[in-house]
Amino acid sequence: MTRRNRHPRRTGSAVRFLPFVALAAVLAMVSTACGRATLTATPAPVGSSGAFDDLDLIAPDRYDPPITMDSVIAVDATVKFLGDDDIHNNVWMRAYAEMLGIDLNYTWVVDGSMYDQKLSLSINSGDIPDMFPVNGTQFAMLHEAGLLADLTDVYAAEASETTRDILTQDPVALKAATIDDRLYGIPLTDASIASAPLLWVRQDWMDRLEIAPPTNMADVLEISRRFAADDPDGNGQADTIGLAVTKDLWGPVASLTGFFNGHHAYPGIWFERDGKLVYGSVQPEMRAALAALQQMYADGQIDPEFGVKDINKVTETIAQGKVGMEFGVWWNPYHPLYLSQQNEPDAFWTPFAIPSVDATPARSQYSSAVGAFLVVGSHYEHPEALIRMVNFWTDNMVRTQDDRIRQTFLGDINAPDVVLYKYTPIQIWEPNGMLTTGRLLREALAKRDPSGLNLDAQWRYRIIQAYFEQGTKEAWVEVATNGPDGAAVILERIADDLGVINRFYGVPTPTMVEKRAALELQEVEMITKVIMGDPLERFDTFASDWHRTGGDAITDEVNSWYAQNR
Amino acid sequence: MESKSKRPLMSRSHLPMVILAGVLIVYGLATVAVGSWLSTRAMQGQMTVSAYRSQLATFEQGAGLVAGILLLVLFVACAAGSRGLVRVAFAIGAVAALGPALVGRAEGLLFGTLGLPTMSAGSVISAAVTVLLFALPLTILFVLFALGRRNPRAIRWLSLFLVFLVLATALFPVYVTVLAFLLKPGDPGVGAMMDVSSRVMQLRFILPGLGFLILALLSIRFARRGGGQ
Repeated sequence: MTRRNRHPRRTGSAVRFLPFVALAAVLAMVSTACGRATLTATPAPVGSSGAFDDLDLIAPDRYDPPITMDSVIAVDATVKFLGDDDIHNNVWMRAYAEMLGIDLNYTWVVDGSMYDQKLSLSINSGDIPDMFPVNGTQFAMLHEAGLLADLTDVYAAEASETTRDILTQDPVALKAATIDDRLYGIPLTDASIASAPLLWVRQDWMDRLEIAPPTNMADVLEISRRFAADDPDGNGQADTIGLAVTKDLWGPVASLTGFFNGHHAYPGIWFERDGKLVYGSVQPEMRAALAALQQMYADGQIDPEFGVKDINKVTETIAQGKVGMEFGVWWNPYHPLYLSQQNEPDAFWTPFAIPSVDATPARSQYSSAVGAFLVVGSHYEHPEALIRMVNFWTDNMVRTQDDRIRQTFLGDINAPDVVLYKYTPIQIWEPNGMLTTGRLLREALAKRDPSGLNLDAQWRYRIIQAYFEQGTKEAWVEVATNGPDGAAVILERIADDLGVINRFYGVPTPTMVEKRAALELQEVEMITKVIMGDPLERFDTFASDWHRTGGDAITDEVNSWYAQNR
Repeated sequence: MESKSKRPLMSRSHLPMVILAGVLIVYGLATVAVGSWLSTRAMQGQMTVSAYRSQLATFEQGAGLVAGILLLVLFVACAAGSRGLVRVAFAIGAVAALGPALVGRAEGLLFGTLGLPTMSAGSVISAAVTVLLFALPLTILFVLFALGRRNPRAIRWLSLFLVFLVLATALFPVYVTVLAFLLKPGDPGVGAMMDVSSRVMQLRFILPGLGFLILALLSIRFARRGGGQ
């Protein structure tokens, strides 16, 4: 049968080549679509007139006529602006003016590294801004000098429900800003629990060596031994170590804090014992942990050069796939643990709650994340303006699911280097936000329904989904942090009853200011030397020296403070 | 100009082609079913991530190898039972058998044996290689089917459609993954594409299988109507 017979009217070259013309057309469309998708659009700056009318914003009472507020701000060189905007004319300044009737004016702007120095100069010259951020020491000093406005009444009268909820999630946040039962500042809160240590272990190495998950400190030591001795990377060389440690000993990555916590020791923080606050680094529980670390070092499970390796060097070791365990914080998969996949696509790490050395559950230590406060000068006649600005932030930014609000005030995905919220000193984050997000995310995963999640959580959901449904192994980072058995689950348990919070959250005491740096230096030196082989008695000597050379005085001062703030 | 006479895809029995379609469909369905079962359990916290990875890898390597061998045999059988351009197409299509066989093995081969750099995207690269090894031979096969002037018109048009379908199901998930992890992380628009991508990935083997099945049925019908006599 010929084509002519079956389709007499469709003969000729045009029809014969139609399939190929169609093929070429579709390929051209695919090519164009790919090219277009890689382009990014730059969002236009929000204008100054009625720019926020179409946004569903909750605005406090507007000042009419508008008031002026002098402030100061630290802006790093990396901060970028849209269009003709600058630090004095941007979306936040326009919003404060238009929505709140507050004309915010930065009298000076410096790099973040210079802020404290510049502020001290301003204060010393009597040039106190109307509203500004301060650290704990400046807060105490300004209060002592009577230069801070009492915010107690304006907070009680003006703070919104969301503001109150966020500021009370961290139990010490408002206390830290309260002196003699009066509130003198708004704490810039963040997730305190985020600093609690966890144990991270190379799961692919455990699987390869058929090692069961650690349930106690003895398991941790055994895993470390096998990681160092049994060639977990399978390259036939004895080039791996069990536990990563930086020369700084503490910090968010390759820290020893979790290891000590597993031995019920709490270095660097103040916790209650027999009704008094004691300093963790000089308690007898430190000794057993030091002995265990000393043995690990002697057995080659800890890098013999750890005493000179900073976080960058340890990161290199992790990236090279030469270490299998570290005590760190919840976000370590984002950095530096993801680097393990550079050489081994199968590499992934699993978080574990800190295992205990005995039958008593180990507790992870953490400190309040409140390191700074927003204050109002006592001369300023509108202290309530700060509360209104805080309300504007908390009511509209912190929990928003409105993409347009996020794009307008926080940043746009198409211009990721322009972080809009850096233009305002009011940046208050939800202390329990990550725990709430993690819980909602796990519920959504179990139901396979992300519809109730906010934009950020929806994205995390999809990344985890890509891991489980598309085999994208690089997404393990999100699985390990917010997945079903991720770090967020462990942090919830720590927040519930497996945490030890630093009970001293006041400003540094006089003796602390004078002696702390030297004492901390001696502490790090002692621990490093003992791990590397000095006799354990060196710890005893250090502890007695610590008490004698200022520690007792600091302890007395801390307990005096505690008596008034417990 | 005189057109060449039409003939069915297979000279004798269409059975190898029907079985080929069946293997692709069954393998695709099994992959979807086992993957969904395991991922649901893992996402609900009923099994650890480690156990999930281990069980999935065991299934992918086992099922992939079986499917790969079957596909190779069936493509060869189809080539043996056909003539001309169709035979060439099936012979090229046999390379696609490497795709399922490499699922679960590509990473070791690419980054372990060959020592290629992972560029921190090992699974994406290996998935792309696996997909291309499966999709490109099939694309060429369907292009040749579409080009074959001895093939019935319906088969040529369907083959052309299958070219786009195979390319789309193969490339779209890779494209979305690159967008999501490298170019536009956090973009809500990409998030919606990721949902679609998950579904598309599940159809990666099923749709070509259905395509082969329909092609075989069209060819059988053409033969029964006396085509090629």
